[in-house]
Amino acid sequence: MHRRAFVRLLAAAASAKATAGVEVAAKGPSRAPLAGTLQIRTGLPALKVVSRYSPAAIPGMPGPYPGRVVAVKSDKSVDISTGAANDEVVREMMARGMRGLTGAGTTAEAWRRFFTPSDVVGIKVNCGGYPHCVSAYEIIAETVRQLMGIGVPLTQIYLYERFQNQLDEVNYAPRLPEGLQIVAAERANRNTDNSGYDPATYLEADLFGEEDTRSNMMRLVSKRLTKIINIPNMKDHGATGVTGCLKNIAYGSFSNVARTHQGGKSHTYSVVGTLASIEPLRSRTVLQIMDGLRGVWHAGPFARTTKYVFYPRQIMFGTDPVAIDRLLLDIIENKRREQGALSIWDRSPSSLKMDNTRARDADPNVNIIIREPGHVEYASSLGLGVYDRARITVQDVTV
Amino acid sequence: MTPAVLVLLASAPCVYWTQGIESRAALEAAAIKRLCVPLDQVDTWRRAGFTVSPITEAELAAREALPTPGVTARAGLASPTRSPWIVANGWRFTRAPAAKYVYTVAAGKGALAAAEAFAYGADAILKVDPADLRGVGSVMTFLDGLPAVDLPPVADLAVVDDGSAITAEVMNLLARRNLLFQVVQTPSPRFRINIVMGSAAYPREEAGDPSAFAQKIRGQLTDEQRTLRIYGSEVVICRLTGDGQRIRLHLLNYGGRDIEGLRIRVRGTYRNGEAHIAGAGRLPLEDQVVVDGATEFSLPRIATYAVIDLR
Repeated sequence: MHRRAFVRLLAAAASAKATAGVEVAAKGPSRAPLAGTLQIRTGLPALKVVSRYSPAAIPGMPGPYPGRVVAVKSDKSVDISTGAANDEVVREMMARGMRGLTGAGTTAEAWRRFFTPSDVVGIKVNCGGYPHCVSAYEIIAETVRQLMGIGVPLTQIYLYERFQNQLDEVNYAPRLPEGLQIVAAERANRNTDNSGYDPATYLEADLFGEEDTRSNMMRLVSKRLTKIINIPNMKDHGATGVTGCLKNIAYGSFSNVARTHQGGKSHTYSVVGTLASIEPLRSRTVLQIMDGLRGVWHAGPFARTTKYVFYPRQIMFGTDPVAIDRLLLDIIENKRREQGALSIWDRSPSSLKMDNTRARDADPNVNIIIREPGHVEYASSLGLGVYDRARITVQDVTV
Repeated sequence: MTPAVLVLLASAPCVYWTQGIESRAALEAAAIKRLCVPLDQVDTWRRAGFTVSPITEAELAAREALPTPGVTARAGLASPTRSPWIVANGWRFTRAPAAKYVYTVAAGKGALAAAEAFAYGADAILKVDPADLRGVGSVMTFLDGLPAVDLPPVADLAVVDDGSAITAEVMNLLARRNLLFQVVQTPSPRFRINIVMGSAAYPREEAGDPSAFAQKIRGQLTDEQRTLRIYGSEVVICRLTGDGQRIRLHLLNYGGRDIEGLRIRVRGTYRNGEAHIAGAGRLPLEDQVVVDGATEFSLPRIATYAVIDLR
């Protein structure tokens, strides 16, 4: 897996280079088979990627199913009067989704397409929306059950998140078999715990004049895991527009990422996709399960109250994080429109109350940062998946 | 890397103590052996086995008073977690190495103050809160046990000291960013960057925002050319000494919380090294590599102070 160290300098999109080989020329894409017509901005910050890992023959992102999404919906999946999920229905949704994605005849066979008993599997959850919108206990439990069912030992299954205090709040352990590893890189978001990160695998960038210019990959990801399942939620995000597959796997696997957005400005446009493209994260993230049982349409990624919580009651399956996030953009945008809220694409200074989270929480027509939903399109320029909606195939399944 | 002219010998500061000999047990329990005391108490403490320096009220008053080192909240100017406001005195010691100083430090900050003065070889007296004796004693014991090393400070740029307050604040912010500077009286040909306040290159108006000014200097120097980089914290300030063959790096953690896995990059190739970490002792460096003409390594943990020796 290791080879000699290589350093790539990504000087904005003009010279963006995808690990899968998609090249974007100085004034636009000369060849962009996954992305269609790209409109990548110029004047982006220089991002330097340092990694000793080479990509797999077929990197996990976009994996074997670029541009393909299975969306399983069920009105019975969540009781919207209480927010409680129905475990049995969720299991059925998971089974139908995995079989639909792979075309396998059985659920176990569908899981075997991605994992073998020798794999060390990481499950990247999202705990930021506690208590009302986190990666659902029912989905996580079913994921673990299926992995065990195809022979992956419990000792080789890791549920991970960056911050221990968030994992403690969500407390998955009572819902999961004893022996499964639950791992965080840091105790909390305090910028003091770096030991959980790989000092040799990182993104280096000076975004706002910060002195600590590195964002390092979790050691668990680079040193231990062989495969990763990404289980994000359907959420709005104040800096990125939405937080879905890309944001969850990128910002949830690297250190020191909050530095990318402050003072009304967000560099997430290029940083999210670039982080997701760094090896070995890109190659090892082989399955995307977007938990849309519950969602957050404003003030995300947090959900301390139910004020902005809604219930899409669906789960999306795929290997292409860009395609799923492209659909998520529409889901959040449509919900916001329905609620009379500002578009996630709004860049008007008049909507901006810089860093005023209280105003943002009170009013869905307030931004605290100019959002960058274009990060999804940018990620496609790095070869991470299909952005062009016309080229995304969605298979709808109702349970 | 450019060795500066002035060599400072590190020495631990002494604790100013006015309580009577009945407080001896508290000092001994804290392993504090060196005191500065009023003249009339010198003999008593010496007979009790302490190393004592006499100091008068007038001498104490004549010393430059230093603020308590640490981090503080400054709404709108500093973020509490990412880039807090740091009160540090290293730049003062660099600017006036021969001056005499006195700290009056709040409880919990004595150890940091002692380490700070030691790191810069400052002639400093500590007025500490009695509740802080154990912490101060612990770091004093650590300082006494460090291998003696006598190396000149290393700088990447020069600041021409015009004595002004604005230049002082620029030095403060340069130090805050670990931009290693030497204070000179006239521009030095040994440095590519000489900051002359009020010159065309460095107008006074620009220095009105010292943080932005320091950032400009950083851009001129470039991160690649910096002798020292720190990753994993925004609250560690360093003093670097060396002669091209050896390096001694002092790391001061102003944040008040232990930091794990701090990553350090020093330009130059150093194959051997060790860390002396206050509270943990002598430890090997972790994940040490030499890459692109620089030596990188991590520290398992730093509380207040650590010294790194590289060869």
